[in-house]
Amino acid sequence: MDPNTTQQNSDTRDVTQKIVNAYKEYVLLNGTEPPSIYAFCHELGISEDEFYTHFNTFDQVASAFWSQLFKEVLRELRSDQAYVEYNTREKLLGFYYAFFEALKPHRSFALLSFRDSVSLLKRESQHLTDLKKEFRLWVSELVNEGVRQGEIAQRSRITGAYDNIIWMQFLFLLNFWRKDGSRGFERTDAAIEKSVRFGFDLIEKNALDSAFDFGKFLFQGK
Amino acid sequence: MKEQDHIPTSRFSRTGNFLKTGAKVGGNYLKYYSKKLLGTDDTDALQRENAEDIYDALSKLKGSALKIAQMMSMDEGVLPKAFTDKFTQAQYSAPPLSYPLVVKTFKSQLGKSPSEVFDSFSKNAVAAASIGQVHLAERDGHKLAVKVQYPGVADSINSDLRIVKPLVSTMLNISSSEIDHYLQEVQARLMEETDYELELKRSMVIAKACAPIQGLEFPSYYPEFSSGRILTMDWLAGKHLSEFLKTDPSQETRNQLGQLLWDFYDFQIHELRQVHADPHPGNFLFREDGTIGVIDFGCIKEFSDQFYNDYFQLMIPEITNNDKNFEELLFKLDFLLPTDKPEEVAHFKRVYFEVHHLLSEPFFNDEFDFADPGYFARIYALSEVYQNDKMLRKAKAARGPRDSIYLNRTYFGLYSLLHKLEANIITRSKVGTLAEHS
Repeated sequence: MDPNTTQQNSDTRDVTQKIVNAYKEYVLLNGTEPPSIYAFCHELGISEDEFYTHFNTFDQVASAFWSQLFKEVLRELRSDQAYVEYNTREKLLGFYYAFFEALKPHRSFALLSFRDSVSLLKRESQHLTDLKKEFRLWVSELVNEGVRQGEIAQRSRITGAYDNIIWMQFLFLLNFWRKDGSRGFERTDAAIEKSVRFGFDLIEKNALDSAFDFGKFLFQGK
Repeated sequence: MKEQDHIPTSRFSRTGNFLKTGAKVGGNYLKYYSKKLLGTDDTDALQRENAEDIYDALSKLKGSALKIAQMMSMDEGVLPKAFTDKFTQAQYSAPPLSYPLVVKTFKSQLGKSPSEVFDSFSKNAVAAASIGQVHLAERDGHKLAVKVQYPGVADSINSDLRIVKPLVSTMLNISSSEIDHYLQEVQARLMEETDYELELKRSMVIAKACAPIQGLEFPSYYPEFSSGRILTMDWLAGKHLSEFLKTDPSQETRNQLGQLLWDFYDFQIHELRQVHADPHPGNFLFREDGTIGVIDFGCIKEFSDQFYNDYFQLMIPEITNNDKNFEELLFKLDFLLPTDKPEEVAHFKRVYFEVHHLLSEPFFNDEFDFADPGYFARIYALSEVYQNDKMLRKAKAARGPRDSIYLNRTYFGLYSLLHKLEANIITRSKVGTLAEHS
């Protein structure tokens, strides 16, 4: 690779990171977004022009924060041998625990970031746009893996909707965590445990699939 | 361990379970009364069905509600026999925690994952406790039992108690405001049970104090691998009572084991004045050689001098057999209340006298055969008589000192262990002789 391009890439990353950090700090200290992109750039010491080479809106900046957090957590998990050996259910659980652990130091920002939606399930935050894409991609890989290993039932059209269902579960957990007043957010841990168990009990191969299979067999035998 | 197919998460859905149970139990009664009208009176079947329905609802709840269910099952006379049988299953049916959550708990509590702390660690739980589960670990060739608590147990205690309150108040026929007085005591113990650091300290104290009793084995505890929600101790050998009984132990061994349990409790209550108040079968490991491993010191009840001195006057025949002294004592202990009418005082005094004498029978003999099914049948029969007693049913006030809840629970648990063991033992208090040796 051309050393110049590498240099450029890392510069871009630096500026992106600088913008995200400055935006986060502003929101944390003021409880609201900067009054304008101009005011924000002025304070940061970059030109408005430069801002637009990275982002168009503040929503996109916030979205970058969430997607970064997601990627970091996933990177860390994948470097852990125990995680690699987990089955699908455990991988999802492991992700949730790690994600909410990593989110803890950013709780104030998270609460501010979602302050416009009382329920994320009813009104999805603009700030989750990037994370949603990446999350659903990761989940569909996970589901495929689960199907290949026979852990998750292949149910033609429904299987394709699993990533969406699990995304809803993630939003439910985010919501739960926002309102969790328990010590050390233990109630969120319990919510993760129970919702994943419930979810997987539904998508795992179970009596329903055997019944369907048996029914099909009888029908075809005629 | 079987996994549950659905766990109720919100308080709302848990309350829903109880409503459903209420409806089912109501249905059972309806069935009972219709059968009765047709001329067949099958109280036993009714109670069996009720027990199953209530149990099914309770087993869907975890943590403290389950604990309370166990307690009610152990408390003398609160529930008929069919209920007790069903509830003794409760302690083995908690749902397992996922391994990622165990890892998370380790990381947040000890800063390391289980595989970093131990040489080996069982991914799945090897046993369940009502507020946690036990994993088998190994370190330096040494087998360890690691107890990991469910998350959010402490936080759910209050809401669980709120749910159980109406149920308990209906079963005991006590107004729900009165029952608070007792539930506070239960709540305090339950909160203590969620604190593994406290359990660790107490276990070490009691184990040391009970060292003079030959034949008891207590695990060593490892503070460096323990925290508020993780408790690491030695893995003790031995079998749970039901498993042990399948090996068909000799009468001699049964008596020896029973005697050991009796002496252990006698010593705690009268010498230490604090007691391992959770004598359900899961907390003891029985061995062929007549020794017992004692685990789980989550529930310890300490007795104040005042309570101890007042309450155990009930064990002095000169007081209980004297009508005037007995009445005074009952007032002192709140079994009789200043608001009682004279006919109530007379009636309750008779009831308490009868109940007390029956329950204390082992103490008033030098030797007692807990194998005697007649004795337990008499206890259940009497409790059922009084459950239908009009004057008792009408009296909505809660009675008795609340410190006695856990003492009763202890004795009831001990009696039922000894009954299952079919042990014939010397029931004279051994405290004097033990204290001399120590």
